Amino acid sequence: MDTLTLASELTGRPVVTLGGDLVAEVKDTVFDGLAGRITGFTLNGRGLLAGPLKESLPWSAVHALGRNAVMIPGREALAEPAAVLPPGKDTGGAVVGIRVLTDAGREAGTVRDVVVEPDGKVAGFQIVAADALDHRRRTVFIPRDEALAASGQALVVSDDASRFVAQDLPSFTAQVENFRARRAGHPVGKEHP
Amino acid sequence: MMILLSQVKGLRVVTAEEAVELGTVDSLTLDPATGGISRLRLAHGGRVSGVAWPDVRAVGPDAVIVSSADTLSPAPAQDSGRPEVVGARVLTELGDEQGTVKDIGFDPVTGLVQTVYTTLGSVAGEQLRGLGDYALVVRAG
Repeated sequence: MDTLTLASELTGRPVVTLGGDLVAEVKDTVFDGLAGRITGFTLNGRGLLAGPLKESLPWSAVHALGRNAVMIPGREALAEPAAVLPPGKDTGGAVVGIRVLTDAGREAGTVRDVVVEPDGKVAGFQIVAADALDHRRRTVFIPRDEALAASGQALVVSDDASRFVAQDLPSFTAQVENFRARRAGHPVGKEHP
Repeated sequence: MMILLSQVKGLRVVTAEEAVELGTVDSLTLDPATGGISRLRLAHGGRVSGVAWPDVRAVGPDAVIVSSADTLSPAPAQDSGRPEVVGARVLTELGDEQGTVKDIGFDPVTGLVQTVYTTLGSVAGEQLRGLGDYALVVRAG
């Protein structure tokens, strides 16, 4: 798997055309209803144009989400703000701060950040762990269950997923791979205790 | 045959028809669409002007020969926002930084860029994708 990134770290990342021109920087990352993938970005201007821009960047127009820049074919990739809004009305926007429950009814924590892959998929969530998940209440990473349910109030993850909790982003990459291999019915590597 | 921008920088630019010295080579402007040099930028007593590459007759070890004094033109408006190529940030089309440009190696006859030397290695001229106000964009891999 490629490098995972926290959505909060995308804020401020330059938006650059393949021609090498800087057109904006990322303001916020917008996710679809189930927080399954990025639908686009709201934008801030740079330099003299600093501050929120009216235009947004739909994910479909993104050439690549890189470590140092979001690449777009050209300025024509920017669109009206509605282009990045999620289809549902009460599901989009704020993922950060909502409660995470497991499908066994255990409270897992609250979402602090979203972990995204370079292809725009959500790999999982950074959460502030509840007692039941981690009695030291550390910040942990939990994979996104493919069968995830979400509303404006809560996020439900598989009870399994809590067994793949990781303490940092590099080890989380391996945990996500384990989690997926297990769901796909392949032999599992090392599980997190 | 390849020559480096760092070797050409500072060379006197002399016209073939009048044998007049127009200035010295300051930098060059790249056209990523063709992968070649589009203009030589000249410094002349604090003023910046340029010569289009087709008007350059020869890039030699001691001087650059251009056709005539008529070929000299003020730097075009679109050049003013162009960054200096040397020192420019290098970005792959996947959005990953790959250092900054240290030097440019080009064919002195055709003006085609053969190698871009960066602080992290080198990039073949064919990989150039775009040069804008923020970065030199190169194809990945």
